[in-house]
Amino acid sequence: MKTEESRDSALTDVRVLDLAGESGLYCTKLLGDLGADVIKIEPPGGDAVRRVGPFYHDDLDPERSLHFYHFNTSKRSITLNIETEEGRDILAKLVKTADIMVETFAPGYLAENGMGYEELKKINPRLILVSITGFGQTGPHANYVSSDLIGLATGGLLYTIGFPDDPPTTLGASQAYHMASSNAAVGALIALLNRDVTGEGQWVDIAIQGTALRLSEMAPYTYWLVGSYRKRSGLEYYRGLRDVFPCKDGRVICSALGGSGAGKMLDWMESEGMVADLRDDKYAIVMAIMTGGSFYGKGDQNKTRLDVASAKLQDFPEEVRHIEEVWESFLMTHTREELFVGAQERGVRLMPVNDVKSLCEDIGLKARKYFVQVDHHELGESLVYPGPPYRLGETPWKISRRAPLIGEHNKEIYQDELGLSEELLESLKSANVI
Amino acid sequence: MQKDNRESGKQRMPLEGIRVADFTWVQAGPWVGRYFANYGAEVIRVESNTKVDWARNVPGGKTTVNGRLRKGALFTNFNCDKLGITLNLKNAKGLEIAKRLVAVSDVVCDNFSAGYMDRIGLGYDELKKIKPDIIMLSMPVFGSTGPRKRYAGYGTGIQAAVGLSSISGFPGRPPGVNIALPDMGPNPTHATVALLAALHYRNRTGKGQFIEEAQFESSLSWMGPMVLDYTANNRVPSLQGNSLSHAAPHGVYRCSGNDRWCAIAVFSEEQWNAFARVIGNPAWTSDQRFSTLPQRKEHESDLDKLVTAWTSERTAEDVMRLMQEAKVPAGVVATGQDVLMDEQVKSREYYIELEHPDGTAFCENIVIKFSHTPGKIRRLGPATPGQDNEYVFQEILGMTEDEINMGYVEGAFD
Repeated sequence: MKTEESRDSALTDVRVLDLAGESGLYCTKLLGDLGADVIKIEPPGGDAVRRVGPFYHDDLDPERSLHFYHFNTSKRSITLNIETEEGRDILAKLVKTADIMVETFAPGYLAENGMGYEELKKINPRLILVSITGFGQTGPHANYVSSDLIGLATGGLLYTIGFPDDPPTTLGASQAYHMASSNAAVGALIALLNRDVTGEGQWVDIAIQGTALRLSEMAPYTYWLVGSYRKRSGLEYYRGLRDVFPCKDGRVICSALGGSGAGKMLDWMESEGMVADLRDDKYAIVMAIMTGGSFYGKGDQNKTRLDVASAKLQDFPEEVRHIEEVWESFLMTHTREELFVGAQERGVRLMPVNDVKSLCEDIGLKARKYFVQVDHHELGESLVYPGPPYRLGETPWKISRRAPLIGEHNKEIYQDELGLSEELLESLKSANVI
Repeated sequence: MQKDNRESGKQRMPLEGIRVADFTWVQAGPWVGRYFANYGAEVIRVESNTKVDWARNVPGGKTTVNGRLRKGALFTNFNCDKLGITLNLKNAKGLEIAKRLVAVSDVVCDNFSAGYMDRIGLGYDELKKIKPDIIMLSMPVFGSTGPRKRYAGYGTGIQAAVGLSSISGFPGRPPGVNIALPDMGPNPTHATVALLAALHYRNRTGKGQFIEEAQFESSLSWMGPMVLDYTANNRVPSLQGNSLSHAAPHGVYRCSGNDRWCAIAVFSEEQWNAFARVIGNPAWTSDQRFSTLPQRKEHESDLDKLVTAWTSERTAEDVMRLMQEAKVPAGVVATGQDVLMDEQVKSREYYIELEHPDGTAFCENIVIKFSHTPGKIRRLGPATPGQDNEYVFQEILGMTEDEINMGYVEGAFD
C-alpha cells in the first residue's frame, strides 16, 4: 500500500487563479486542499484580508493574520496590479494556463478592466470563471453590496436567531461566506466535469444571498405553507420545548423531549432516582404530546392514543415548565461528557454544547487525528489547524503548504514558470505592477 | 468515463451521463444527491416502506387530507428530480437488486450510522467487486473509527457540538442558536465537493474510491480561524453579539414597525463617509470618537445608539435602499415573508411551485447558475415511495415483468 505522502490528490491536474476576497477564500482553500495548484493574486502590498484578525500572538502584522492563514492553506502567492496594462498582460498569460478562476469583484468590474468573461474566453475557451457576489450577476439588486452579515440578513436566517427580546443575532465564523464558497466549489467542479466531456469552459454565478437562503431552514417555506413566519425562539427549537439546558460543567442541547427519546430519558432519570413526580397521571398527556408530536417522528404518532394534532403543548404551560425543571435538575448532576455518553447508550438525542477548548480536547477528534500540524518555519513553530472535512481513500485531503507570504512565489511563477526576465520583473516592480 | 451523448440542438446538462444510487435519508444526505439530480445526473433514491423517511412525515403541501395538512412536501423538495424506488435491503432479493443498481451506477451514497452498509452486505469492499471504479460516500456523524463511531447525531446538535453556538450571541446571554445549519450547509456541500473531485479523478485515472464524511468533522471545518486562535494564542473566543473586529458600524438596527430591523456593515473609510452622507452628515459623524475604525470600535455602543436613532425613524426597506444607493452594505433582516416578496429573490427564481398529485408543492430552486449548461428542476421528488419502481427495474436494470412480480411476492420492495 502506498503511503499517504506518495498518494495522488484528486485535483493535481487543475490550476486555479484566486482573485477572491473574504467571501471566496474558502472555495479556493477547498480546491487547494484537494490538490489543485492555487495561485493567489494579491495587489502589491498584500491582500486586504491580511488585515483581518485574529492575529498570531496579537501582532497586527499583515504576515501574522490567523484569519488569512486559515483560509489560504495550499496556495501560492504572487503580487500583481491587474488595473495596469502590464498587469493585465501578465494575467492573460496566467489565464492561458488556468482551468478555474475565482473572483469576488463587483459585477462588471472585470469587464470594465477588459477581463470580462467574454475576453477571458477568447484567451482560454476552457477556462471556468467562478464569480461570487452579494446578490448575483443579474436582477434589480445585482449592484448592491454585501457582507457575511448582510447575506444572513437578506437570506432569511438571521431573523430567526436569538431571543425574542433581543435583536436578531448573527452567527460567528462567517457562515454565509462559507456557504457561498462551498457552493462555488460545487459549481466549479460541476463545470469541470462538464468540461471533461465537452472541452468547454463556462461562467458560474454565485450570490451570497442565494446560497444563504438554503440555510434559512423552513422560514420561507413555512410562510408559503401556513402564512406565518418563524420567529426567534431562544433556547427552543420549533416545538415550543426548550432544547438547551445547563449541566454540571457547561451546557447540553437535548431534543429528546420532543421525540421518542422522552420515554428513555424518564427511564434514565428513574434509574438514578431523579424522575420526581413525572410519572404521575397529571403529566401523562403532556408526555404523550411530546413523544407523539415528534418533529423527527419515527412513527411515534401511531403509538399514542391521543390525537396530538389537536392537543398542543401551549395549552399546558405549567406542566411543561415543571417537566423542564425536573429535567434540568437531573442534567445538573452530570457533566457534558457523561450525558453525551449516557444519551448515546440509551438512544436519546443529546449533544454537548462545546467551545473551542473542549473541541481541541475531544477524545473522538483526537483518536481520529482530526487536527493537523502545519509547519510555519517563518514563525519557528508549527500551528495546529482544523483538519479534513472529508477523507478520500485514494486521494487524501491535505494541507500541502501553509498560507503564502505576500508575493512569496513571484520569482517561482514569473521567472521559472512564465519565463519573464529578471530585468522585466525589476521594471514591473518599480512601476508597482508587482 | 462519462460520455457526451448530446442530441443535436439539445441543451446539455452538466452532469449528464452520471448515475447515482442514493441510499441517504432525512435531510443532509438527500441534499447531496439533489445537487447531482438538478444538474442532470440520473439519481435513484432508494427508500424503505418499513422505515419511512422523516421528511415524508412532516406537514407539507397546501392541500389537506382528512382535515390535516398533507404530509411530505419537505421530502418532495429535498428529493426533486430523483427517481424513487423501494427496496427492502434486509430481504435477499431486495439486496440482490440493490447490487444490480450499484453495478450500473457511478456513485453510491448513504448517511446511515457507521458500519451499517457493511453489515447488510453493501460495504465498499463488496461494492468494489461488483463495480471496480465505484465511488462510494458514507456520512456517519462521528466517522467509522474512534471511540464515538457508534454515536448518532442530528443537525441542531451538531451545530452546538462544533462550537457554533459558543461563538454566536450577545455577551452574558446563553446560546440562543437553535438551527440545523449543518444539514443544509457544510455537510451536503462538502460531500458533493468530495464526490465531484473523485469523479474528476476517475475521469483522469479510471479509479474509484471510498469517501467518508464524518458530519461532526465536516461541520467543524466551517468554524474558521477559531481553532487557530486557540491553538496559537490559547484564546477561547468571547461572544461578540452583532459586532465584527474589522467593521463599525456593524450590526442589526431597529427600524420603524414591529420587530423590523436592517443590517448595516461599514468596513472602509469610503463606506463610512458614504454612510455619514446618507444620514445627512449630522455633527456627531465628524466627532473625534468616530474618526477612524479603531475609534469607532472603541466607542461602538455610543455609535450604535446614534445609528439606531436614525434607523428607528425609517422603514427597514428605506434604510436598505438609501444605504445601497450610496454603496454601503445593508440589508433588511428578512422574515420568511420578506424573502418571498424580495424582488431579487423573484428575479433569480430561487423558489418555484410545482405540480403535485395532491395540489401544488413548494420547491427550492437551484442557486448555482451556469452560463452554458444551466441546471433545471424538472419535477418534484417522488410523491409516493416506489413511484418509479417499474421504470427503474425494467428500463435501467432490465428486469422482466415476471421477475418484478416475484419481487413483490418475496417482499423485495417493502
